[in-house]
Amino acid sequence: MSKMLPRAGLSRRSLLAGTASLLASPMIGNAARAEAKPVNIGVIMPLSGANAQFGINSRNGIELVADEINAAGGIKALGGAKINLIVADSTSTPTTAGTVAQRLISQNEVTGILGAFASSLTIAISEVTERRDIPLLTMSFADQITGRGFKNIFQVVAKASALGKAQLDYTLAIAQAAGTKIDKIAIMYEDTAYGTAQANGLRAAAKAANVEVAMDDAYPLGITDTTPLINKLRASGAQAVFPVSYLNDSLLIIRTMRQQRITMPAIGGAAGYVIPDFEKGLGEFAEGVLSIAPANYDLAPDLTERFRKRFGYFMVHEALEHAVALDVLVQAIEKAKSAKAEDVAAALRGAKFTGGWTRAMTGGAVQFDSTGLNVLSVPVMVQWRNKELVTVWPKDVAKATAEWKS
Amino acid sequence: MKRWLALAVLIAVAAVLPLLLSPTGYWIRVLTFTLLFAAMAQAWNLIGGLANQTSLGHAAFFGIGAYTSTILLLKFGISPWLGMFAAGALGGLAALVIAIPTLRLQGHYFALATLAFGEVMRVIANVWAPLTGGPGGLSVPFTPPSFAGYSFKQLLPHAYIALGALIIVTGIFEVIRRGAMGYRLRAIRENQAAAEVIGIDTTKVKLQTAVISGVLMAMLGTLYAQVAVFFDPDTVFSAAAISIRVALIAILGGVGTAAGPILGALFIIPVEELMNDLFSAGAAGLSQLIFGAILIAVILWKPRGFITLWDALRARFARGETR
Repeated sequence: MSKMLPRAGLSRRSLLAGTASLLASPMIGNAARAEAKPVNIGVIMPLSGANAQFGINSRNGIELVADEINAAGGIKALGGAKINLIVADSTSTPTTAGTVAQRLISQNEVTGILGAFASSLTIAISEVTERRDIPLLTMSFADQITGRGFKNIFQVVAKASALGKAQLDYTLAIAQAAGTKIDKIAIMYEDTAYGTAQANGLRAAAKAANVEVAMDDAYPLGITDTTPLINKLRASGAQAVFPVSYLNDSLLIIRTMRQQRITMPAIGGAAGYVIPDFEKGLGEFAEGVLSIAPANYDLAPDLTERFRKRFGYFMVHEALEHAVALDVLVQAIEKAKSAKAEDVAAALRGAKFTGGWTRAMTGGAVQFDSTGLNVLSVPVMVQWRNKELVTVWPKDVAKATAEWKS
Repeated sequence: MKRWLALAVLIAVAAVLPLLLSPTGYWIRVLTFTLLFAAMAQAWNLIGGLANQTSLGHAAFFGIGAYTSTILLLKFGISPWLGMFAAGALGGLAALVIAIPTLRLQGHYFALATLAFGEVMRVIANVWAPLTGGPGGLSVPFTPPSFAGYSFKQLLPHAYIALGALIIVTGIFEVIRRGAMGYRLRAIRENQAAAEVIGIDTTKVKLQTAVISGVLMAMLGTLYAQVAVFFDPDTVFSAAAISIRVALIAILGGVGTAAGPILGALFIIPVEELMNDLFSAGAAGLSQLIFGAILIAVILWKPRGFITLWDALRARFARGETR
């Protein structure tokens, strides 16, 4: 009996010590976490379906910036808090995108959300974030995004109508600089939200500039034979063609044109025309093709080359703009000194952000107006030159003179 | 007697469940869509289950419903409660128009014809931009919350409306199934020629069923639009996301039975969500791949639907009682 007592005492002591440490451990954990509780940021992208490649590009851009900020010591105003990205697939269904947003807000308590490339997905997400007062930063173009009087949405690029207008106006200017006057054009666009919105901008700009639209055709997404379109284009007598489409259609249109030896300048509407796959799919046919773009990587190579180094291809515009969106969101968190969504949204509204990735945007900074639109962003015209995209217009930011063969 | 008690308990559980979830949260949204899809699959079950006409075009009626009430709200400020009945009327009309030529078709031909009809509606909604907003879609305006205006800040009322809709549609299904119409439909399903010989106007009965199914589906389209708040032609006229999904829900649960669509929806919608939650941050499309694999496994395991599970359970229970 007496032999057993010390053993019991020992076990009691160790039990007590164990209990004490158990009780204390959550407090230690809390203290450590209070110093730098990670800030959850939602990333909702189409990671499957027709737009998956664009979604993955966007995610890559965001991850690059998040890793850089974390490596540089996290968010200073919050004691070096790390950024924790919560990535989720929106699929290509707007309702699913909305449900995913609801999930990130209530289960992950995100400070803000970035997404979702395609305008319809972004609009569906914004209906959820607006009701929950969560800031949503996007590079989707559609005019409706900032046209509904929402308080918690921030569009870092110019609107689709502005892009369509720039697509036409810049082209006229480039042609004029090369000594050609354009008075007849052709428009062809896929019948999606993006295609129709940008075509509206093109049409309005053509009317304003007194340019005749000799061909104005919508075609279904996923078209498999563009020969009838190209035949119509040949017959239209247009001096330049403005196709607005995602990747597959853009490849078909340009290939069919060039195979039929139609050499008229083609000015694409971003999306499919400004990604590496365009050049990979077309080879030499890509050379000289122009496209409008909301931003281009050659305007800030010191930043964008980091993307190429990590992912092996040039920093496509959706990756670039999403990188800017995350940088702006983090700057707003620093400014608000809080990770609470309402505080961050308040810090974003009507504010101007400079430095960091915002330098890569035209205008060199990001400034939101009362609707949430970045008023400093101006579209640029880019041209395929030897497997790279070169900014050729407007003149003050251009890296080279446009080649114009009429 | 016992059946009614079980039913009452079931409804009571369903009525309490939404209260346990956060009223602005994620799971209540999933629950609301689960209830809505159960009701939609039940509406499909009328024509697909009772009449055995596998429709793959129910998105057509659904989308007509979503667009009708939303356009009435946007252009004339008409409350979706009233818009829902206009939606039902148009949905019924569309069902009539499509049913007259297609109900003479059987099996695969009927399925293909309805599939095409859904696609046609999608194209019309895309092109008729002045009315439908074109490919850009429509947003249900965020009006001040009121019951009469069918506008709520939280999802809780939507969950109850969806539950009410499910109960009503299931009630209609049961009344038809047990009534004279149910007998006629069963006769047609077993052998159409024989049914005609015994004096059933097969075309008329199938037509009636198709119209009722179309009316209900369109009214559910209105409810969906009010919950989702934004939709475009690709969303509501989608073959994969609506037409095939409602058929799948009914078939997986047990086609032709009242409990089938409910069991199917309770499985499919939450599991799909869970897969997205767990896997979508990883490799692209992985969540859908796993979801598809689960569906295949379930169909191989229970080819006649979850309802057989229930029957087996009941049979075992009954054996135990008699012993």
